[in-house]
Amino acid sequence: MEEPEGFDIRYTRSMDVSYLKEWLQNPKVLEFFSMNTEAETELAVSAWMFFARYKASLTATINHIPCGIVTLFLMPYKKISHQSSFKICVDPKHWNKGIGSALIKNIKHLAKEYFHLEAIYTEVFEGNPLIPLLENKFGFHSFAKQANYVKAKDGYRERNCLIANLKEEVKDDK
Amino acid sequence: MTNSLPGFRRTEPQDASFLKEWLSDPKILYGFPMEGEKEIEDSVRIWMSYAEKGYGLTALLNGIPVGIAVLYIQPFEKLVHTCLFSVIVSPDARGKGIGTALLENLENLAKYTFTIEILHLEVYEGNPARRLYERLGFVPFGRHEGFAKENDGTYRAKISMEKKL
Repeated sequence: MEEPEGFDIRYTRSMDVSYLKEWLQNPKVLEFFSMNTEAETELAVSAWMFFARYKASLTATINHIPCGIVTLFLMPYKKISHQSSFKICVDPKHWNKGIGSALIKNIKHLAKEYFHLEAIYTEVFEGNPLIPLLENKFGFHSFAKQANYVKAKDGYRERNCLIANLKEEVKDDK
Repeated sequence: MTNSLPGFRRTEPQDASFLKEWLSDPKILYGFPMEGEKEIEDSVRIWMSYAEKGYGLTALLNGIPVGIAVLYIQPFEKLVHTCLFSVIVSPDARGKGIGTALLENLENLAKYTFTIEILHLEVYEGNPARRLYERLGFVPFGRHEGFAKENDGTYRAKISMEKKL
């Protein structure tokens, strides 16, 4: 999928936090995250933005306006620092335009080439359209599934943990 | 197994020194992701920050801490019914049923005080504590290959286990 005109990706800046907060308060987005209240979102966003100072976060823009953010949550201990989890959020106004794909492709590159990570992984909740994208396009596979992990208003949901091995990749993603 | 039965109380700030001492034992540290004093101190700080909220339980023998467990209760409404936990037993108190008693008490604290529905844990491949977890009814739901990388370049998987309370 072609990205929209005026599309670019740059390192996340502290001023991007207001966009992330706004997207995460949209119920359509929040459905796929663990937060529920504004206070919970504030807490999650501050943890998220912490890694931007290490250049571990990328922001997608359209005509210089942020439309998506992906962040590596770098591990603080040496024995487990060869892998990292990540989180991604795309402005719901710009879903289905290839922005998520562009961010995932770039964060895999950043993880491998700049941070020399051997694998990246993420945790997604049942029903998240990110799951088939990660599995079918970016070489992720599930390594843990926990039923009833999320207790939403409409019932329980499973969490699915997916990992991509960066060491074994020899060619660019499609 | 000894006839002495452990007592239990909520974890108190002074228990941090026991935690640090036990974690500094290489045999115990093998089961955790930290290495070196700085990383151990960081993990103790995080552990104690949950204990300060009343989420920690300490086992005592003759008034001395011999094991500590903590519930990492999450600050999100949607996830507050599930909880990760950690447990450590003093190397000197191994084989006395302390771990079993501590975990049984932790389950009760989780279920009846904090209305936790699912307890889960992470254990590294090769850690003998896995047998204790299985005996207490924990079942695996995931295996993260290569999660820990030792200094000699070998990898160990992290196994996730859970128990419905």
